[in-house]
Amino acid sequence: MDDSNADPRERMNNEEELDEIKMKDLILDDLVKMLTDMLDISPVDITPDLRIFDDLDIDSLQLYELVVDLEEVYSIRMPDEALDGVKTVDDVVDLVYRLSAQTEH
Amino acid sequence: MPVEEHEFAERLLSIYENVLLTEEQALSKGYFSDLSNAEMHTLDAIGPYEARTMTETATNLGITTGTLTVAIDRLVKKGYVVRKRDEVDRRVVRISLTKNGKLASRIHNKFHTVLAKRILEPYTPEEQELLMRMVTDIDSYIESQKQRYGSSDSIRKTAKSVASDSRRRDDNG
Repeated sequence: MDDSNADPRERMNNEEELDEIKMKDLILDDLVKMLTDMLDISPVDITPDLRIFDDLDIDSLQLYELVVDLEEVYSIRMPDEALDGVKTVDDVVDLVYRLSAQTEH
Repeated sequence: MPVEEHEFAERLLSIYENVLLTEEQALSKGYFSDLSNAEMHTLDAIGPYEARTMTETATNLGITTGTLTVAIDRLVKKGYVVRKRDEVDRRVVRISLTKNGKLASRIHNKFHTVLAKRILEPYTPEEQELLMRMVTDIDSYIESQKQRYGSSDSIRKTAKSVASDSRRRDDNG
């Protein structure tokens, strides 16, 4: 749909939202790749609503392996306090997105 | 005094000894069983992010750079630490953690926070604050005693002998 007549501010918001969705998709792709390598499972088995401890059954060493890799790839710091509320694959994506948005600004 | 001093002193000493012992046992049974307690604390002092200089790290640990060099040699050999020359000043060597080093340090820190969490859990928020205040007071008092006895040399000797004892136990085990 042509939205050239839309309020420029609204269009900007839409673009920002689009960026956010794109960025989160990229993070999810990376995370799925890391998880499939680590757990030796198929990417189609990983959905955003899966709980990383209960459904994917990863232990604390594996969690930190992910964390250290994500920190390196996205140049972010993921302290333990930030990890406390993380339950699902989507939570990890959100956290990485939030932290990398912080470092950019 | 309603509290027997000698019993209190025994409890304090027991905490000190058991924390060291539990850490050691957790280490030897865990993923990073090739690390001694002293080595784990060296990894913690380097930290997971910026590369550090030897002098900085030695000061943090309260040891000489000579002692640290020996420790770092061993940690490099075991694959937990890397040495790199500073990009700007080539005379300076910086040390940082490898992926395994970062993992070991984070798991070890987690061990500390879980321990703290379990200790605090049974108490109400007010009680937790009181406990924190009292533990801080104990810590400051002991810190002031350390200062009073001049440099930290004697404490360092104790820490060193604990570390070398644990290493010896590691080697025998």
